[in-house]
Amino acid sequence: MRGQENKLFAHIDWGLLSVYFILVFLGISNVYSSVFDPDNPGLFSLDTEHGKQIMWFGVSLFLGIVIFFLESNFIRKYAYWFYGFTMLLLIAVLFTSPINGARSWFGFGGVGIQPSEFAKIGVAMALARFIDQNSSSKESRSLKNVSGLSTLWGIIPFILKNKETALILGLPCVLVLLQPDAGTFIIFTSFLLVLYREGYAGNILLFLVIAVIIAVITLLVADTNFMFLFTKIKLSGNAGIIIVLVLLAGIFAAIIRSFVMKRNRKPLYRSLIGSFLIAVIFVNFVEIGYTNILQSHQKERIDLLLGKIDDPDGKGYNINRAKAAIGSGGFMGKGFKSATLANASQRHVPMQSTDFIFCTWSEERGFIGAFVLVGLYTFLLLKMVVMAERQRSVFTRVYAYCVASIFFYHFMINVGMAIGLAPVIGIPLPFFSYGGSSMMSFSVLIFILLKLDSERKVVLQ
Amino acid sequence: MRNIENRKYVIALIFLIIPLIFIVRLFYMQVVDTQWKERAAQISENRITTYPARGIVYDRNGVKIISNEVYYDIHVIPKQTNNTDSIALTKLLGISMDEYVSKMNKARNYSRRKPSELVRQIPPNEFSVIAPELYKYPGFFEVARTLRVYPKKIAAHVLGYMNEANGTDIEKDSYYKSGDYIGRSGIEKMYEKELRGQRGVKYYLQDAIGLSTGKYENGDYDTLAVQGQNLSLSIDWELQAYGEKLMQNKLGSIVAIEPATGEILAMISAPTYDPNLLVGRHLGANYGALAEDTLLPLQNRSLNSAYPPGSIFKTVMALIGMQEGVITENASFPCNKALAGCHNHPTAMNVSDGVKMSCNPYFIQLVRRIVQQGKDKSIFKDAAIGLDIWAKYVRSFGIGTDLQVDYPTNVHGNVPDAAYYDKHLNFRWAFSTIQSIAIGQGEVLITPLEMANLAAILANRGYFIPPHFIKSIDQGEIPEIYRTKKYTMVDSAYFEPVIDGMWRVVHEDGGTARRARLDSIAICGKTGTVENFKRISGKVYQLTDHSNFMAFAPRDNPQIAISVFIENSGFGGTWSAPLASLMIEKYITGTVADTAKENRILNANLIPDAEDIIRK
Repeated sequence: MRGQENKLFAHIDWGLLSVYFILVFLGISNVYSSVFDPDNPGLFSLDTEHGKQIMWFGVSLFLGIVIFFLESNFIRKYAYWFYGFTMLLLIAVLFTSPINGARSWFGFGGVGIQPSEFAKIGVAMALARFIDQNSSSKESRSLKNVSGLSTLWGIIPFILKNKETALILGLPCVLVLLQPDAGTFIIFTSFLLVLYREGYAGNILLFLVIAVIIAVITLLVADTNFMFLFTKIKLSGNAGIIIVLVLLAGIFAAIIRSFVMKRNRKPLYRSLIGSFLIAVIFVNFVEIGYTNILQSHQKERIDLLLGKIDDPDGKGYNINRAKAAIGSGGFMGKGFKSATLANASQRHVPMQSTDFIFCTWSEERGFIGAFVLVGLYTFLLLKMVVMAERQRSVFTRVYAYCVASIFFYHFMINVGMAIGLAPVIGIPLPFFSYGGSSMMSFSVLIFILLKLDSERKVVLQ
Repeated sequence: MRNIENRKYVIALIFLIIPLIFIVRLFYMQVVDTQWKERAAQISENRITTYPARGIVYDRNGVKIISNEVYYDIHVIPKQTNNTDSIALTKLLGISMDEYVSKMNKARNYSRRKPSELVRQIPPNEFSVIAPELYKYPGFFEVARTLRVYPKKIAAHVLGYMNEANGTDIEKDSYYKSGDYIGRSGIEKMYEKELRGQRGVKYYLQDAIGLSTGKYENGDYDTLAVQGQNLSLSIDWELQAYGEKLMQNKLGSIVAIEPATGEILAMISAPTYDPNLLVGRHLGANYGALAEDTLLPLQNRSLNSAYPPGSIFKTVMALIGMQEGVITENASFPCNKALAGCHNHPTAMNVSDGVKMSCNPYFIQLVRRIVQQGKDKSIFKDAAIGLDIWAKYVRSFGIGTDLQVDYPTNVHGNVPDAAYYDKHLNFRWAFSTIQSIAIGQGEVLITPLEMANLAAILANRGYFIPPHFIKSIDQGEIPEIYRTKKYTMVDSAYFEPVIDGMWRVVHEDGGTARRARLDSIAICGKTGTVENFKRISGKVYQLTDHSNFMAFAPRDNPQIAISVFIENSGFGGTWSAPLASLMIEKYITGTVADTAKENRILNANLIPDAEDIIRK
């Protein structure tokens, strides 16, 4: 610990910092290529998107240096304050005038700021702070002693028992849905990964996977009809799913009856019935939600993903152009500034410098480039897991998982969308998509993590 | 707690699996699956075709007979239109309001920013009225395209016409694309490859709304259009036009050949039509009207109709007889009217007399000697052997064979041989059964082109060069076959008596073609009259005879060989012979002296009416 005060950058994780700089460098060069205009080839003009992106990178570096001068105790101490501040911003933004149908932006002159980007940082810090405070006081905050399907039954008691956690996560979710911004809402669900790691809600991931499968099947059969076996009764697809669920419940009941001792049967029956009821409610919720809550363009995006509609020049225009751009890159790519679909002069791929930035990269750099990019992100994510697990501070560990989960969701949804594995959701690819708010918020997330990590060897109070 | 510690592995696993799925998917999309590359090319690249000008066609004297003219399509970009006065516009463009509304709706449905065609192929004279008004209608503009124009309005059958390439054409030759024009008949079809030139292609990158944003790969793949080759035809446009004038109100054909070269000087098929009718936006309607006409104006009678040759065939019979040694030039046969009907004339004392008098029994007896040479004891077998020898001779005159004319046709005459009769007659036959072939009736058929070629053979005393239209091509030579003499099986020495007879046909009293006589030019000719039957509701009627005439002139160093065939016009000497003489005179001297003869032909209407059937 000798001379630590003098060494501001001591114990910095250079690996993470290097990946950060590499991603930023590749990201800016790619924005430059995606908006390249041969008549105005300047690199540092603030009229261009890449010029602005460089500026935002400068601002981010400044914020990073500020963060390095802060005490990590200060960060811990004021976590709730920062959370509160970002929530206030999310409330305030609801009183602005809508841009493209959503109240998501604060405009300062020509510069727009998206408070929901910074809310992620607030939520990450607040969640870390809350779990840190409760780690010593509460022996058990999870339902881990109840395993299997009973977890599903326990979802309501889970929320009731963890009111504070639910509030920390629920508030920003509600606020971004009011904007409305479904993309950011989905990003907030990434914190479920953190809760999972921290021991909440045992098999919540299994629950999520089953829920996604049931939802997909429900949506696929939503408008179909079928003839009930051996009869002429016409049934909706929905009824079919419920019949299958009843059959599955019956099979499980028979298994329990055959293989479980009598005295253990009762709780299993109870959780089976509970799971069955939740599944039935969920099936109906999915259908009702799909028809009544989702907006028509969201329905279209889901239908496109599920292959229920095929309209490459109409409803599927974006995704079809995006896939064509990526696919046409081939193995080696078309070369820097040589995209013919995802660039500024052709404009075949809409939003090629923001949401669909992956298209420009993959078209120009080919499979090699796409492989490198996916590899860099995988390295980044695993690096964060390693960093999280080496902490003695619960706060830092939770925070690191929060950052990893946020990056993972952005990466998974943005790239998945561009290659047709996820529905079209307008969220940025960290350090690649053009945008000041996301550049700053992702940088700050990384810098706080680096700062907290650099003090991992300091004895906690 | 141990359970919870292990969850980090689950999370790490998730962080690995999703990228792995992405890598697999990306590898498939970018490296394995080619559909996205094709899709990308379809989206981002645009090829603009530059069309070369089609080759110009000249007549033998360098006068343009097929040329190109700029026509105008009117296109519209719906987004740019602004308060269009649709009533005035439809009036200006000459389209109906319904058509306008439906075309505009179609254009809007196709694209609001890209041009759509509204009216197609407005000829330049009509466009000159539209052009000064068009600025009043923003969003409407003209697109020029070149189409064929036939300045002399002649030789519709020979030159042919063009229309849009259909599915079969595109399948057969990948050069063609939808919307391309292709030669459909005549010279336009025959010399399509030479005339069409080579299309040029320019590749452009296009943006999302289809506007060009630059050259693809710096234009490395672009090609320039290559102009089509110009052709000169052997047709003499003035002779052709004169022939068409003479053939007005008649059915039939004229074919004129330069004997020394085989070049076709004129080919008339009547009734004809203005070739410009089959150009431009009225092509469909005009073609329909022509196709429905009962006089078959679209039929090229010169090439695609075969008739019995009639008496002109006798010249060939005499030549074969002498060559085969069954007669000499001084052979005489009595005019035995028991064999066939004949007119009253003195007995033919030699071949020349026979040709001049066109004595039917003379030639029946002559051909009997050719066919029944006594080579087999059975007259039936003997006839079969003899007929095959005869048929071989006849075919060496180009009759019933492929003359290899450079015109898309596959119609030939017919020369019956032993196999033919074995097949078509269900009883044993000998010469007496089939003797009418000796006088060019019965199963023998000849096309007017073959007839003109026969005249050329006689003019050349024994050979011909396959008749053709092509005189020269811009690049490359005319095919070898059009420079090669083809000899008949008859030696040139035997031709003089026949030619003498043909001269006497025209120039001596008692000849059948005295109306063809010219003071200045020695014409050798032979008339024919062809019996003509028609089956109407099961009953056979005899119609007015077809009249034909073949000739060459002058007798020494012939410059023109000609065949004239006029349907349902009676004796060959009445109409066909004088018409041929007018053509000969026009070609050799450039003018026609005997205007009375000319007017008689011009004013004659020989198109048969419905009563013609009853009359006979």
